[in-house]
Amino acid sequence: MAASTLRARWGSGPWAGTLRSAAIGCVLMAILMVLPSFLSLYWLRLLTSVLMLAVIAQGMNAMAGFVGYPAFGNVVFFGIGAYGTALAIAAGFALGPALLFGAIPAGGLALAVGPLLLRLRGHYFAIATLGLNEVVSALAANLSGLTGGAAGLSLPLGAGTAGDAAQRAYVGFATLFAASLLLGIFLRDSRFGYGCRAIRSNEEAAEATGVPTLRVKSIAWMLSALLTAVAGGLYARWVGFIEPSLVFDMAISVKAFVMFLLGGAGTVFGPLIGALLIESATTLAWSHLLKLHLLVLGVTIMLVVLLLPDGAQGFVARHWPTVRDRLRRRS
Amino acid sequence: MQLVAQIVLNGVLLGGFYACMALGFSIVWGVMNVVNLAYGSMIMIGAYVTQMAVLQLGLPLAAALPLAALATFTMGYVLQRALLNRLAERSVFMTLIFTFGLNMALINLNLILFSADVRSLPDVFGRASFTIAGLSVPYGRATIFAVAMAMTLGLHALLNWTPLGNAIKATSFDPDAARLSGIDVPHVYALTFAIGGAIAGVTGALVATSYSFSPLAGESYTMKAFVVVVLGGLGSIPGAIIGGMLLGIVENLASLFLDSGYRDAVGFTLLLLVLILRPRGLMGRRFFAEVKG
Repeated sequence: MAASTLRARWGSGPWAGTLRSAAIGCVLMAILMVLPSFLSLYWLRLLTSVLMLAVIAQGMNAMAGFVGYPAFGNVVFFGIGAYGTALAIAAGFALGPALLFGAIPAGGLALAVGPLLLRLRGHYFAIATLGLNEVVSALAANLSGLTGGAAGLSLPLGAGTAGDAAQRAYVGFATLFAASLLLGIFLRDSRFGYGCRAIRSNEEAAEATGVPTLRVKSIAWMLSALLTAVAGGLYARWVGFIEPSLVFDMAISVKAFVMFLLGGAGTVFGPLIGALLIESATTLAWSHLLKLHLLVLGVTIMLVVLLLPDGAQGFVARHWPTVRDRLRRRS
Repeated sequence: MQLVAQIVLNGVLLGGFYACMALGFSIVWGVMNVVNLAYGSMIMIGAYVTQMAVLQLGLPLAAALPLAALATFTMGYVLQRALLNRLAERSVFMTLIFTFGLNMALINLNLILFSADVRSLPDVFGRASFTIAGLSVPYGRATIFAVAMAMTLGLHALLNWTPLGNAIKATSFDPDAARLSGIDVPHVYALTFAIGGAIAGVTGALVATSYSFSPLAGESYTMKAFVVVVLGGLGSIPGAIIGGMLLGIVENLASLFLDSGYRDAVGFTLLLLVLILRPRGLMGRRFFAEVKG
């Protein structure tokens, strides 16, 4: 009775989807808040890295899933965020303000090069972002006076035990994950998000109906950059040591790409589903088939593309009706 | 002046090699709109086949080279026919991700089969060199340049003067029209990937003669192929030659003025500039370079 009343009141209307997603998000966050007290340090670390990858995947989703621009080199913002934050911490700033030193240059770079690179499409845009990452990464590796060069950069240890540090990292990434869900809901349901999707389906038509395409694309890329850069900053604080080959690693971008693809491109919760599935598979491969883990991951990626082109959610949506009918007929 | 001339000459010799390497990448991209991120790994496979043929079967280099080409030709045909053809109608980044996964799998296989050790053939050409107009030309580099140019001309002849070349070009312009005029499109796609593979195999054989290589070294060759193709323009043979030589010369000049750590970044800076200023590349043609996705 109560459920049907609720459905009558909230289940329809223009904001139904938003409210439903917000409710799922709240339940998820509640679970994430309680979970640490049941987990050992190992599982807490694993969950933290799942959340981190879900955030990076949402950053990729914002550009590639919602706007349709494969920002393959998005890891450049992760690296900038990590270096900016690490340098600010080394200079004596607290973590909160230090994150800004990573996020602002990253967002600024996206806004600065966006208008230039976002005129390219498809492979060309993907390669341009890849080139951007290579150039920034080479700068980080060679400006040794500032960044410590290829030898890397060590951060001063935080207060407390290793367990405290792991807890802090978890809380940081869980908060950022909540922000990434809000970004997903915003991109799906807002006027701005409609502009993004219009660009994805047909950019010329979007332009013709009055969407300021270049501005919308640039802002979407900036939002993606901010999210990714804060993730980079938290990562630097978490692991305490960074080097260019670690934080500008293209494999991070590609993993994020496969995750949102697997979870469902252009959806709010897709990145989390993808991050959970891929990170579990990777961890299993690492612990049982150390010598084959690249092979396992590579073949997983190939299978995802071949068999689940519209992601796990799309796969379920496509096959659920047939399965349901078959179950009904049997009963 | 003498120094600059020598550097430019070195750049041209290296550029010929880059041009040949990039063509195998370019033809697959131009015809099927597939960016093959596993290209570098295919080059490494060519290098390993060459090394095994020379060291374990005792074959001369001239016989090992076709063997390497045959191995990667077959591999390319099977890959396209069995797997990539299924992705033909999908969006551009599906294939990009797919070949990235393929690259990871190939790197892992190479690591298992050949270990992570850096290998090289015993120096075939030694350090001998001849002199032209006061500039020294090592025999090894000159041979690589000659083979690379021969491959390039061979590909030009194949594409322009044979029925297969016409079929490939027709399929790349319009697969539907090609199908209607009786071309077996999946077969042509597979042959195109195989030709790209054969070029990767030859490139690998050339790498084995003069450079050291390891399973992880493939990625830098993929990146260089990327840069050359974008510089010169997709699907253009003259473009690949110009792009390759430009990259070779710029890289060599840069090592004169900049720290060697910037060597790769210089290529990518050039790439970003060309993408921003002239997205079609220096010699890119319509149709070939049309972004389909």
